[in-house]
Amino acid sequence: MPYIQVTSLQKSFTLRKKRPHSFRRDKETVHALSDVSFSIDKGELVGYIGPNGAGKSTTVKILSGILTPDGGSATVNGRIPWLERKEHVRHIGVVFGQRTQLWWDVAPMDSYKLLRDIYRVPEEQWKKRLGELSEALALEDFIRTPLRQLSLGQRMRAELCGSLLHSPELLFLDEPTIGLDAVSKLKLREFLKEENARNKTTILLTTHDMDDIQELCSRVCVLGHGKLLFDGHLRDLLSRYDTLQFLNIRYASPALLPALPEGCAATHRDGAWQIAYDPQKIQTPTLIQLLQSAGTLSELSAEKQSIDHMIARMYEEMHL
Amino acid sequence: MDTIKLYLRSMKMLMRCQMEYPRSFLLNTLSQIIMQGGELFAVMLLIDRFQRIGQWQGKHILFFFGMMTITFYLVECFGRGISNFSPVVQSGALDTMLLRPRGILTQVCCYAVDPRRLGCIAIGIAALCTGSRACQIVWTLPKALLLLESIAGGFLLITALFMIEAVTCMHSVKSIEMVNVFTYGGRSTCQYPIDIYPGPLKIMFTVIAPFALTLHVPAAYILDMQILNLPGWAAFVTPLSGLVSFLIMYTVFQRSLKHYRSTGS
Repeated sequence: MPYIQVTSLQKSFTLRKKRPHSFRRDKETVHALSDVSFSIDKGELVGYIGPNGAGKSTTVKILSGILTPDGGSATVNGRIPWLERKEHVRHIGVVFGQRTQLWWDVAPMDSYKLLRDIYRVPEEQWKKRLGELSEALALEDFIRTPLRQLSLGQRMRAELCGSLLHSPELLFLDEPTIGLDAVSKLKLREFLKEENARNKTTILLTTHDMDDIQELCSRVCVLGHGKLLFDGHLRDLLSRYDTLQFLNIRYASPALLPALPEGCAATHRDGAWQIAYDPQKIQTPTLIQLLQSAGTLSELSAEKQSIDHMIARMYEEMHL
Repeated sequence: MDTIKLYLRSMKMLMRCQMEYPRSFLLNTLSQIIMQGGELFAVMLLIDRFQRIGQWQGKHILFFFGMMTITFYLVECFGRGISNFSPVVQSGALDTMLLRPRGILTQVCCYAVDPRRLGCIAIGIAALCTGSRACQIVWTLPKALLLLESIAGGFLLITALFMIEAVTCMHSVKSIEMVNVFTYGGRSTCQYPIDIYPGPLKIMFTVIAPFALTLHVPAAYILDMQILNLPGWAAFVTPLSGLVSFLIMYTVFQRSLKHYRSTGS
């Protein structure tokens, strides 16, 4: 049996919308999850993506035992999260990128001591684990500084340490890199990879940062309108949409662009051209030759479509 | 045992949090003392003017006032998480609590403490002692135990009443002020003995929110007086109504957690 098994999970919320110029309210039901099924094996690192409001957080909240679903079933290690809450949460860690779970006015160290008591972690084990984590996450500099005085990157590292102190088997990360600078992001990714490899921690990561997914996850699940739209390798997902390439050119002397074959689109900006084309239909050297026929090129560079563009196109095609 | 240890450690840490802002703490405590002291002053003026309300004299009223003040502000101080539940939901702290392997009510109690209310409790103790001395109460062991039982019962009752508001918060996120009729309304009404009020109020605070049973009946026994035509031994039984109220609300609280909707991501 897989470690996480989710079968046709459903959850809807009732919203009350106020009508303009009236005291009456309209009820509206939003299906956050309409029929979601997937399974995850122990030790997997899975990316869970989808546009805002797709139901990512709802899934995480159900799987971590905060919310009770309306229908369907979910088990984590054979346990039903919302029915066996206490036993379940002992084995999981959760990090919400936009919300702190440590105590605001005290230093992380004090929070960690209280977490030790909450999770009933034996003193020796706690010390050993804290030592490992504070080294891996480089916490020494600020572990005794009140949380409210830390930078966002420091706080995220402190949060991560707090959620891993009780050595959970499963870690949920809800947008962990939101608002972090490049160095912090890279370090965080490095740490997550390490944690996944060394302790076989299963990680479910929701994010909007496609680089996170590319760097970390071998597998992605795409959620939209409360349904699972894709489940598989990131490469396979991208190959479906990875059809466009770009050439950026500039002519030495002002020249007119030659007539381009079908399927190419040109945009002009500050005297330079960007040509979007499908390399399956027209080969890059042929296109360059054609462009050179109109005049001497002073600049030429090629680029692939950014992963964000691809995802945007994918969302568009899936009508998200 | 383990839970008590956790509670004490949480309290220690929360106190340290408060002391991060020492001036604000001092000023707030002072303002609380002045507020509750003002209330006591109003009661004393009333006593001075009327001397007698029903069968009660001023010294008796002072004793009732003391008991209510101590009990109510004990809840406001140590059960601050419950009595001020709406921020727990709004800030998402309830989500965090649901992610930890401990009882939710335990964690809510560990979530907040309001040491500023210690000032109010001190005023209550002063009123109780003054009243007790003026009434020349002969303190026996049963009477002392009854006082503790009564305060414990009242503590549970007030906690239960605050839990009504907490339950509504879980569904509507914002708190509903109407419930304050029982909590803050109960405090200001029932700092005077219940038999001075007309029927409907008497029923409301005896049957629905049994302040009279948890606080007034034992207080009357300690003062060697009679209230609500109950026999003396009843005073040892009626504070249990606080425990019953608490158990009922505890069940409701646990059940409504199942329907909790959480706030945004």
